[in-house]
Amino acid sequence: MLELKNVHKQFGDNVVLKDVSLKVDKGDVVAILGPSGSGKTTFLRCAGYLNRADSGKLIIGDEEYDLKKIKGKDLLRYRSRVGFVFQSFNLYGNKTALGNVTLGLKVAQKMKKEEAEEIGRKLLKKVGLSDRADFYPSKLSGGQQQRVAIARALATNPEVIFFDEPTSALDPELTGEVLNVIKELADEGVTMIVVTHEMEFARKVATKVVFMENGEIVEENNSKDFFEHPQKERTREFIYKSSTWAADAQYDGSGI
Amino acid sequence: MNERIVTELIESFGKLFWAGVKVSIPLTVTSFSAGLLIAFLVALAQIAKVPILRRLVRIYVWIIRCTPMIVQLFVVYFGLPSIGITLNSFFSAWLVMSLSVGAYCSETVRAAIESVPAEQLEACYCDGLTFWQGMIYVIVPQALRTAFPPLSNSIIGLVKDTSLAYSVALVEILATAQRIAARTYDYFWLYMEAGLIYLIICSVLTVLQSKAEKALERRR
Repeated sequence: MLELKNVHKQFGDNVVLKDVSLKVDKGDVVAILGPSGSGKTTFLRCAGYLNRADSGKLIIGDEEYDLKKIKGKDLLRYRSRVGFVFQSFNLYGNKTALGNVTLGLKVAQKMKKEEAEEIGRKLLKKVGLSDRADFYPSKLSGGQQQRVAIARALATNPEVIFFDEPTSALDPELTGEVLNVIKELADEGVTMIVVTHEMEFARKVATKVVFMENGEIVEENNSKDFFEHPQKERTREFIYKSSTWAADAQYDGSGI
Repeated sequence: MNERIVTELIESFGKLFWAGVKVSIPLTVTSFSAGLLIAFLVALAQIAKVPILRRLVRIYVWIIRCTPMIVQLFVVYFGLPSIGITLNSFFSAWLVMSLSVGAYCSETVRAAIESVPAEQLEACYCDGLTFWQGMIYVIVPQALRTAFPPLSNSIIGLVKDTSLAYSVALVEILATAQRIAARTYDYFWLYMEAGLIYLIICSVLTVLQSKAEKALERRR
């Protein structure tokens, strides 16, 4: 139901994405893994129309959007069908938690204040932050801020949500609460594409895993097969190095 | 200081104060508002990556900052009529002061806008907002909070700068004092009194500034 088709992007001579395509079914949680500089974040940002792709299409349902240029009315509709969650939360510093969730509804979607706030409160409840509705971002922990950001992305009831390393800026202790919220959404059948370094998350929550390097998809598979039977040598190496830090440590020969 | 001077100062106080209310304060408020708008547009032109626009606003800021305001006033009020443009005293002063505020505050506003993480604008886009909506609802409110103390400084400076409009025949506080003193020869006391009026206006602004800053602090 969602397809990214031949997304190409280059900065000057540096080709960051080489005609990357990805098909996602409804309810899929796709984890995109890969080393830094592999193009995974750029891929997500192009899909979320935060960077213009040089070429490429996003197909949702039976509608097709040109990722090079989405115009006026199409853009507003596109925005309401696609949610985006950033690594650094990017909450509006001058708005309360509730204000963050409802701004887009009120200003862009022209919804009435009461209606927007009802949706906002419902979503804050969903991410476990009912009691923080009137708090400004500076008074919230990183984990709470990211949960508000997720509620904000959910406001227009989008068909897919893109997550750009949603836990990378968090204290290790706080990643759990954010991943739990994402897992709950996954259980509800929300379609998501998540760029992440959390191998456990990819293993347990994702239905599909994509491994990218040098602007290309090296391997993609369902999550179980991806981890248990990686096909490519490079994928095996990546999984091994990302999962087994302790085993890779130098043994100093002194015994236990 | 004898009784006559005391009576005269009490009488003139009302006149000077009235000149402030009727001329200096409106001049300050209107030119500061227009100046802020200019400053905002200049700041955006600096941030936008359009080389020609950037060069143009730099030239504007350069000329305004590097020539005395009184010279600018003379050019506008006494000079422009010779090429067929005649502006009255108030409008001449308003024009010069707006341009001055625009030039001086543009850097303050630019720095304040850049202090708000640009990623918040990206979040606005994801929410379906346009660039201008993002500016109005998210970026500018936060930028103004940062810019508030330096802008307060500028408005207090502007109140005092309005006294320069005296030189283009605008009857503001200083000119009113001068006219009374020309009759009574009590220059010392009347100019002291004019200073007192500025002191009062600027003190009120200072108090307002600290109250407003506290109120802003609560909203974040």
